[in-house]
Amino acid sequence: MRTISIALAVARKDLTSEWRTRELVPALAQFVVLALVIANFGFQIDSHNAVAIAPGVLWMALVFAGLVAFGRAFAAEREQASLEAMLLTAAPPAAIFAGKALAAALLLAICEAVLLPALALFFGVRLSFDVVSAVLLATVGMAVLGCLFAAMVARVRARELLLPVLTLPLWIPFVVVGGQAVQAAMGGSVTGQATGLLLDLDILFVVLTSLAARFVLDD
Amino acid sequence: MTNTRLGQASAAAVSLMLVAAGFIFLYAPTDALQGPVQRIFYLHVSSAIAAYGCFAVVLLGGVVYLWKENIAADRLARAAALVGVAFTSVTLVMGMIWAKPIWGTFWTWDARLTSTLVLWIIYAGYLMVRRLAEPGRQAARFAAVVGIFGFIDVPVVHFSVTWWRTQHPGPVVINDTLPAEMLVAFLITMACTLFLAGVMIAIRYRIEVLMDQAAEKTVPAPIVAPSEARGAR
Repeated sequence: MRTISIALAVARKDLTSEWRTRELVPALAQFVVLALVIANFGFQIDSHNAVAIAPGVLWMALVFAGLVAFGRAFAAEREQASLEAMLLTAAPPAAIFAGKALAAALLLAICEAVLLPALALFFGVRLSFDVVSAVLLATVGMAVLGCLFAAMVARVRARELLLPVLTLPLWIPFVVVGGQAVQAAMGGSVTGQATGLLLDLDILFVVLTSLAARFVLDD
Repeated sequence: MTNTRLGQASAAAVSLMLVAAGFIFLYAPTDALQGPVQRIFYLHVSSAIAAYGCFAVVLLGGVVYLWKENIAADRLARAAALVGVAFTSVTLVMGMIWAKPIWGTFWTWDARLTSTLVLWIIYAGYLMVRRLAEPGRQAARFAAVVGIFGFIDVPVVHFSVTWWRTQHPGPVVINDTLPAEMLVAFLITMACTLFLAGVMIAIRYRIEVLMDQAAEKTVPAPIVAPSEARGAR
């Protein structure tokens, strides 16, 4: 109970600070729209191939936006040395970690609220419940893994280099399963199995990362 | 282990690999369909198994380190990660050499090839964490976490041929489809490769011990401005 209230307090702190500065979300929203523009030139998109290419563009934009979002999650704490202050309190590291991950996941979800309609508009794909649920389920798992490694690289040299190297390989399961689900949903078929698998992966990584958070944060 | 013992073990490992080469090229029959290229199989599969073994050592070393803060476990994990990456590289390169004449292409985005490439990238990341994190407790803890999460990919690689329909050949050894002479050549190559991997880990472990000792002895040089240094004289 206490863990949950601490996690919510940390998440609220992060979201309040983002609301006051409004740095990350506008930049990420522009970033994802720009990704669509670059994809248009890279793939020579026309009305015939747009629907086939759209799922790939969605995951590329999402993965790289996620790297930026989760990298920022601990950047402010590092700049102000406020992470040490939080760790000196009696709050369990797992609760602090959960709060950071929750806030980062919500911020990425806001970017998805820009990315998905933009994708529907520019690529002419249908946005169904299945597409949205697959993307949101993948966001949860990506957020916990991304925040774990962001917390780690915040304390090492060359952090901008190390975060993608560590995070992207472990995100691959979400891209594989989520990609299949989105492809199926955009093509109009059912995604039941893929959604269940995404949920399993989320549970696995939420448990593993909260066990590992102690070793990464408490130091 | 002393340097003499390690030297003897290395000599034994090299001789055993020559014995394995003898079995691969002289004893094992030429494959009726694939021809001489099939002989890559023996070392390709053996080095993949050696790499799995190395990454299992990284996993165990990481768990023991996080649990007991045992420096020896961390050194063992460090040594095994490097050797594991080397064996994964051998697996990938030999696989590609085999694929060119058989599939007509060096690379295809097949589940097993892709997951093996990802495995290589994960443990290359592990080695990067070791170099970039502050040496000592922080590097050991961070690397242990990466090693534990990274190991999730090992079963994915191993079962990829059964979970997905892949272009990569399925298991031939456990499915009992290998002729007896090929099986003998394979088992001998595998035993020799595993011995080689063990010796490589032991050598690397010794290097890690020496490097840790050297780091402890090194006293940071005092930072003195050139003018002060002149004035002192």
